[in-house]
Amino acid sequence: MPLASVVLGLVLGAVLIAVQGHSVLSAYGALVLGGAGDADAVLRTLQKATPLIFGGLAVAFAFKAGLFNIGGQGQLLVGAAFAAGVGFGIDGLPLVVHLPLALLVGGIAGAAWGAIAGVLKATSGAHEVIVTIMLNFVAGNLTDWLAANPWQDRSGSNIIARTPLVEPSAEIPTWGWLPAGFLLAMIAAFACWFILERTTYGFEVRSVGANRHAARYAGISVGWIMASTMAVAGLLAGLGGAIESLGVDGRFEAGVNVGLGFEGITIALLARTNPIAVIPAGLLVGLMEAGAAKMQFESGVAPEIIDVIQALILLFVAAPMIVRWLMRLRDADDRRLTLGAGWGR
Amino acid sequence: MTAFNKRFAIVFAVLAIFAAACTGSDEPAATTAAAPATTAPAEAPADDMDDAEPFKIGLVTDTGKVDDKSFNQSAWEGAQEAAAALGVEANYIETEEAKDYDNNIGLFVEDGANVIITVGFGLGDATIAAAQANPDIFFIGVDQFQGEALPNLAGLIFPEDQSGFLAGALAGMLTETNIVGAVLGTDLVPPVVAFKEGWEHGARYTNPDVETISTYHPGGLDVAFGDPDWGAATARQALDQGADIIFGAGGATGNGALIEIASQDGAFCVGVDTDQWNTVPEAQPCLVTSAMKLITPGVADLVAQAASGDFAGGNYLGEVGLAPFHDFDDIVTDDMRATLDDVLAGLNAGEIDTGWPPG
Repeated sequence: MPLASVVLGLVLGAVLIAVQGHSVLSAYGALVLGGAGDADAVLRTLQKATPLIFGGLAVAFAFKAGLFNIGGQGQLLVGAAFAAGVGFGIDGLPLVVHLPLALLVGGIAGAAWGAIAGVLKATSGAHEVIVTIMLNFVAGNLTDWLAANPWQDRSGSNIIARTPLVEPSAEIPTWGWLPAGFLLAMIAAFACWFILERTTYGFEVRSVGANRHAARYAGISVGWIMASTMAVAGLLAGLGGAIESLGVDGRFEAGVNVGLGFEGITIALLARTNPIAVIPAGLLVGLMEAGAAKMQFESGVAPEIIDVIQALILLFVAAPMIVRWLMRLRDADDRRLTLGAGWGR
Repeated sequence: MTAFNKRFAIVFAVLAIFAAACTGSDEPAATTAAAPATTAPAEAPADDMDDAEPFKIGLVTDTGKVDDKSFNQSAWEGAQEAAAALGVEANYIETEEAKDYDNNIGLFVEDGANVIITVGFGLGDATIAAAQANPDIFFIGVDQFQGEALPNLAGLIFPEDQSGFLAGALAGMLTETNIVGAVLGTDLVPPVVAFKEGWEHGARYTNPDVETISTYHPGGLDVAFGDPDWGAATARQALDQGADIIFGAGGATGNGALIEIASQDGAFCVGVDTDQWNTVPEAQPCLVTSAMKLITPGVADLVAQAASGDFAGGNYLGEVGLAPFHDFDDIVTDDMRATLDDVLAGLNAGEIDTGWPPG
């Protein structure tokens, strides 16, 4: 089903490109070349996919407990900022200590940020959608302020709200076309799958997601599960942000991670909240984003077409009736789709 | 219609699109096939080899569009102007994400561009790195101050404080309530602060009794320049507090302020960067002038320098000025114009303190 949605999205995107008078073949050709044509292109695709996968996991994991985490953006930002803070603020540590420490601090910052919404939900019933959205604004302003004031790079003529570059001992290495951060994203996806499917804790998370009241009746501490699930979600998004700072940008800069955390929602829906499926979903969107510039350069198609195609794919994923009608797929398989389950309960 | 027929229809539609795509791509192939025949004679004189290769101009926008009615557009118009003068073509890439600066500049480098224009101070580091790696290519960085001069990189910078000062000086003379306001993007962006300091100092320069109400957008970089509702509400507050001339400087946020002020009888507004009479027509009822940075001629000049080979690296100071007064030409008296001329002379001579840079 998601595959059919992807195909439909690409076909409609092709129609839009053709209507604008551009060559579909050269546009999509350049898109693929720009995203996978050589080692640099692959590297960029994997770099783009990494925060998308973490963001997707942050949404997918919370969703298993019936929570809709819109706070990936804020969790990612605090993770990115605090990881950079450790990355440039401490020197003299060996790489094996410094890098894990910076990642850990970024992850914990994200986890703490996510836990706020979880704890409020568990103790007072405050809806996590509202709280996480509001916390996104707080995180955005907090990290902008950090980058513009106490942590600003004062060297030379710098006037930009950004931290100094992180120490080499806190940089995430890249091996040829393979960024180490992407391996972490794959590990995180498999870890999420394992926790959710193979541990007692994962069973409790899924029980709370399936039916909160039944879970409570069965002796599961619903409050603990909600709070801890949001913390895990925040940890994932925070790690994604930390990897951006330590592996891609080399620093934290106000404004450069805008919107990155929100794309996790797209990824999670595209993967239908399956942690393993988040990997290909992230790769697909990452490839489109990495190749968009080359597509515009070669064929003159505005890069927004990528956003349109993503939106179309998402629409088809979220509205399976349309796809079923178009494709005449009558398989009962699709009844399991429960995108609305997180809302209003 | 059976399911089979519908599927067939879809497959057919897809095929039709690809067929159209193929015919589309056939055309360039045909012309390139014919091209060697026409260019072959030109290759005969060895000295003309360089001339056979057309001068290529590339422009990379900041995270904005080339039709943003603001600095990206002004820079692109400058590139087009220069391209037209040279009889060559210019091309652009719109940056989607700040992380893509290097890659987008790299696309032009790979393509063999002769001069690459990067727009906005955010691209500063990426431009310096590209200029160091490609000493044969000229780079022009709009709004990028150069700490250390590179021979092939010119930073086109503007004294925003002077632009704001001129506008403020006019405002100080026009205000009847002795209260002037400013609705600004975020103070995270230094040129915005420069505009604000210049505006306030300019108003006090011509009107020592003036009171200033200046408000920065409190949000981060992601929203500060894209919040017309906040701009309108803040402009309304300033009007309620008695301001009768207000400066809107902050992208769509400032534009929102201008449009709100246009609905108030007797209040003036001042635009920013370009002549906003053209870019925000809704503001015409109040728009007395705009504090301009003349990006288009600056870019065109620098491209022309690069094409002639007479290119100086380092910082290139662009010009600033006030936009025409349009409908308000009668309101600005000859005395005021004389004062503005004096102010401009004083600014150019460096005799007037604009309050920027601080200290």
